[in-house]
Amino acid sequence: MGELNGAKQLLAEAIGAEIAAVPEAARVGAFERWDSLAHMRLILALEEKIGRKLDPDEAVKIESLKDIAALLDRRS
Amino acid sequence: MMRAKGRPVLLQTDRFELRSVTPADASDRWLGWAKDPAVMGPLNLPARAMRREELAQHIASVDNNARYLVGIFDKASGTQIGFFMIDVEVMHRYAIFNVAIGDKNWWGRGVVNEARAALLDHFFQARGIEKAVGLPLARNFPALFNYKAQGWRHEGTLRGQCLSLTDGSRLDQYQFGMLRKDWQRLRAKGAPWAS
Repeated sequence: MGELNGAKQLLAEAIGAEIAAVPEAARVGAFERWDSLAHMRLILALEEKIGRKLDPDEAVKIESLKDIAALLDRRS
Repeated sequence: MMRAKGRPVLLQTDRFELRSVTPADASDRWLGWAKDPAVMGPLNLPARAMRREELAQHIASVDNNARYLVGIFDKASGTQIGFFMIDVEVMHRYAIFNVAIGDKNWWGRGVVNEARAALLDHFFQARGIEKAVGLPLARNFPALFNYKAQGWRHEGTLRGQCLSLTDGSRLDQYQFGMLRKDWQRLRAKGAPWAS
């Protein structure tokens, strides 16, 4: 899971905070600052980073930092 | 023959009053949402200028049996900020929930899940509904977030399910579901957006 920091950075930017404000356990529905608009910003930034649109079955599985990191890890 | 209207909805949450709208609620604000692509696009509805009479007629056509149109009103100001449209399949006791938050000042502030939690309680407890369904477009990421944060189950991805009413392309859709028993379990656990 080498991209955990990259995932943290993306989420930090999406919520408009410093990277230190993002807990490793951040999850959808369990981290207040991760709201619906932040989620939209996060997915759009993630797509930009990996250079393609997410497949719907990928997007629907994003629930945690680890899920974001896994997508970053898989980018070709 | 016109079907008799059912009981209107009237609920309170911490921040909002949820009530069945009436033709008198056909406001300039609502007409503004109808012609705003940022509000209508995620719902796959064309933004268009409506006349107040058209909107009032649309509201009047809702029967509070097979279809509900429930306004979300900010308690502090009394202003309407959005609405739910809920379609009920009476025979199979499920309801399809659609929502629009027209007032952009409220986007990202937890309106949908606070309001929907009260509506789920009400429809499961008082309207005989046993399953709630949500069908957001796959690219509607705020809606996707809200369903997941509230604990709905992703039941499937419907590929190319509908035609875009703005550019004619085929759009993917998700199906999310919430069974009454699962909602009760989430409530009992005090899960986020269910407590």
